[in-house]
Amino acid sequence: MSSERPKLGPDIPKAITGWNSRTGRVIYLTADRNWSESLSEACVMTGDEAQEALRFASTDQVRVSDPYFMQVTQDGLISGRETLRETIRARGPTNHPMFGKQGGDL
Amino acid sequence: MYRYDEFDEGLVRQRARQFRGQVERRLAGELPEEHFKPLRLQNGVYLQLHAYMLRVAIPYGQLDGAKLRGLAEIADRYDKRYGHFTTRQNIQFNWIRLEDMPEVLDRLADFGMHAIQTSGNCIRNVTSDPFAGAGADEVEDPRPWCEIIRQWSTFHPEFSHLPRKFKIAVSGGGHDRAAIRVHDIGLDLKRNSEGEIGFEVICGGGLGRTPHVGVTVREWISKPDLLSYLEAIMRVYNRHGRRDNKYKARIKILVNELGEAGFRKLVEEEFAAQHESEKVVLPQTEINRIEAYFAPPVFDAALPTSEIFDAARKTDKSLDRWARHNVRPHKIPGYASILVSLKPLGAPPGDATSDQMRAIADIADRYAGGDIRVAHEQDLVLTHVRLDDVPSVFAALQAAGLATANGGLITDIIACPGLDYCNLANARSISVANSIQEAFSDPNLEDLIGRLHLNISGCINACGHHHVGHIGILGVDKKGEEFYQVLFGGRADERAAIGEIAGPGLRHEDIAPALKRVVERYLVLRSSPEETFIDTLERLGQAPFREALYGAS
Amino acid sequence: MALLRHGRVGSCHRVFSETGFGECAARDVIVTLRSFLEDQTSPTPHREDVGIRLRPDDDPALLANNLDAVSLIEVEFPKYTDGRGYSIAQLLRRRYGYSGELRAVGQILRDQLLLMKRSGFDAVAFDHPDTEGVYAEAVGELSEVYQAAADGSISIFLRRRTDLSPGRLT
Ligand code: HEM
Ligand code: SF4
Repeated sequence: MSSERPKLGPDIPKAITGWNSRTGRVIYLTADRNWSESLSEACVMTGDEAQEALRFASTDQVRVSDPYFMQVTQDGLISGRETLRETIRARGPTNHPMFGKQGGDL
Repeated sequence: MYRYDEFDEGLVRQRARQFRGQVERRLAGELPEEHFKPLRLQNGVYLQLHAYMLRVAIPYGQLDGAKLRGLAEIADRYDKRYGHFTTRQNIQFNWIRLEDMPEVLDRLADFGMHAIQTSGNCIRNVTSDPFAGAGADEVEDPRPWCEIIRQWSTFHPEFSHLPRKFKIAVSGGGHDRAAIRVHDIGLDLKRNSEGEIGFEVICGGGLGRTPHVGVTVREWISKPDLLSYLEAIMRVYNRHGRRDNKYKARIKILVNELGEAGFRKLVEEEFAAQHESEKVVLPQTEINRIEAYFAPPVFDAALPTSEIFDAARKTDKSLDRWARHNVRPHKIPGYASILVSLKPLGAPPGDATSDQMRAIADIADRYAGGDIRVAHEQDLVLTHVRLDDVPSVFAALQAAGLATANGGLITDIIACPGLDYCNLANARSISVANSIQEAFSDPNLEDLIGRLHLNISGCINACGHHHVGHIGILGVDKKGEEFYQVLFGGRADERAAIGEIAGPGLRHEDIAPALKRVVERYLVLRSSPEETFIDTLERLGQAPFREALYGAS
Repeated sequence: MALLRHGRVGSCHRVFSETGFGECAARDVIVTLRSFLEDQTSPTPHREDVGIRLRPDDDPALLANNLDAVSLIEVEFPKYTDGRGYSIAQLLRRRYGYSGELRAVGQILRDQLLLMKRSGFDAVAFDHPDTEGVYAEAVGELSEVYQAAADGSISIFLRRRTDLSPGRLT
């Protein structure tokens, strides 16, 4: 059992994701330190900048719950060993095409 | 079934109000998530991959038409028109917003329902036999004692921060259909040598990452002593259970570390040390009051067989096949219990849409005295149906897409939500279940195979009971790819056993073909058509099946 | 850190001493179970007004025979999720008949206060801008109980008996 995510080295590009505390919807940290439901608006970071952003996110409790790093490419596409998990989070369950964001449910 | 009186209802309402306050404090920033989490869990609220999830308690799996309609309403108003029935006889809603939770709980309270202690490190929903009160083999109906335990364990001030979750199951003393040997405490109604009915107390069973079959701590305890004895066990666990490592915190680990005799000694000493003033006082009038709610319905003095039913079976092959698998014997001649399969081909095991819930509620009200149970196999049971009415029930179920004829068969799969929903998952469960159902969708093949329990979990936590399936499947993550280990030989009944891992994991797409080979091997090896898969496996051991599993790949 | 006794802000001048009584009077310190037990077997034991702090893995049975000497027991909750202290409290109150001050210390959050009160704690070390108000609110959230416990509440199992109707009790 683990809700802990794999460690990502400092040079690996990453985004910060979590859940909207009020609704539970999946959200991503944007460059202006807001939260977006759209992965395409996620801020891609590395190194200290990323650490600093995660510190910010962890204090932003009213807006986000359980923020963590997810691995992305430089272009902000999901990558790494948790690709399936993060794809399911970003789109919705694979067994139902209409549930989650894939169904246009926003 | 039990009806909440002013005390029960008052507490449910107060609890809803208390939780409303907790949610408000969380959303106002007064309560950090770390501190809120144990509070929301004690009220069944998880944070899953896509959303918050609410697990609503269905104590010992008992529902009636009104409650099921209430759940349907929640699904419609706050979720996506469906719910997921679980192996612990509860229901989960996958898409409820935290901000809506207080309103949902208020509405649930209107139906006499709640989410109290459906998660968290406390005594969880008490589970039981879905055929309780109908099984010819039971010593006594276990439900009154489930209700008594529900009340005693609700908001217990001493046992609300246990080392880990705590699950109690009660069986009526016949065949074990409540998996009591894989619970933290399993209780089995039984007579002592004087013929008095009490309980055998089994302790230390559990699944998860170190599965154990429970051991008998007490051969027999009288009814008046039951709750005090449970308090003794709980206190030993609360004080001595490990808190340094949450993977070693379940009572099964304590039982194992102390040894059966050592654990029993601590419990017996604690029980013996209780002063009279510490005993749980449960007046006989109160037992009688609760038992009265579970008095059997008035059964017609019907004939043991039904001409209507027999005639219908002769003319309708699909009814006949469904009846073979989904109509179960009842202690009263002329009656049956009906298993409503929630495992149609290609849908998530255990899911029911709100329309289906309403359909079942209507059918139950019309034909089954409103008595509906959730089975730990994630199916529903209409407990008391007249044989004469079975064809009508079948027709009504068929119209609602609920007449899947696979009770106890290989496609009646137990599966957890897995990686499609669960934040702890390693791999998907639903899609594997569906691929297996597809592979075995030929009814003739399924009939030929007969009884076979197949259970799937998406990670080591074992919510899908993979250890106790005749065939178990466990999702693992191998460098970012879903793999599935196969286990053979588990069972959850009175001969409970933990399945053994066959070998290296298989890929998602290889599971169904591999299982087909296994089952074909079984069909060749069985000594007669009556020898079930698990019997053949126990007679021959794993080897031939393991060989078949990895055979062609 | 505010100290609440029976829901009212109070104070306590005693200090915790890891090393035992030393030169202090018993009523000025709070000692560990171990120091207390050592002291009890010494030639000049403290027989009155002793304060003890129990760790969650301490066995309260060791106190059973000397509770007359004790007027304060602190039970430590190292983490709010560590529930051993509730069992210790029930044992002290219900089995060993302790009637002095029973105080919860450590990581204590608002939503545990009701459990603590029910388990027999009459004092808690608890901080909040509105300590008394929050305490009153928290312990009042559930007004009926399914179990007898150290707070003396009467269980619903008993309350339901007609001769113990709410009207007769309150
Ligand atoms: C969806 C969110 C869920 C989460 C986060 C979750 C979490 C867990 C965890 C962490 C455990 C392991 C406990 C331990 O070993 O100490 C567990 C066990 C279990 N869960 Fe779940 N679970 C979920 C859903 C379900 C569902 C849908 C079911 C029923 C289908 C279920 C039934 C069980 C059962 C029967 C066990 C095994 C009990 C045992 O270990 O003895 N859970 N769950
Ligand atoms: S077994 Fe694992 S994947 Fe399945 S529901 Fe439980 S925690 Fe989630």
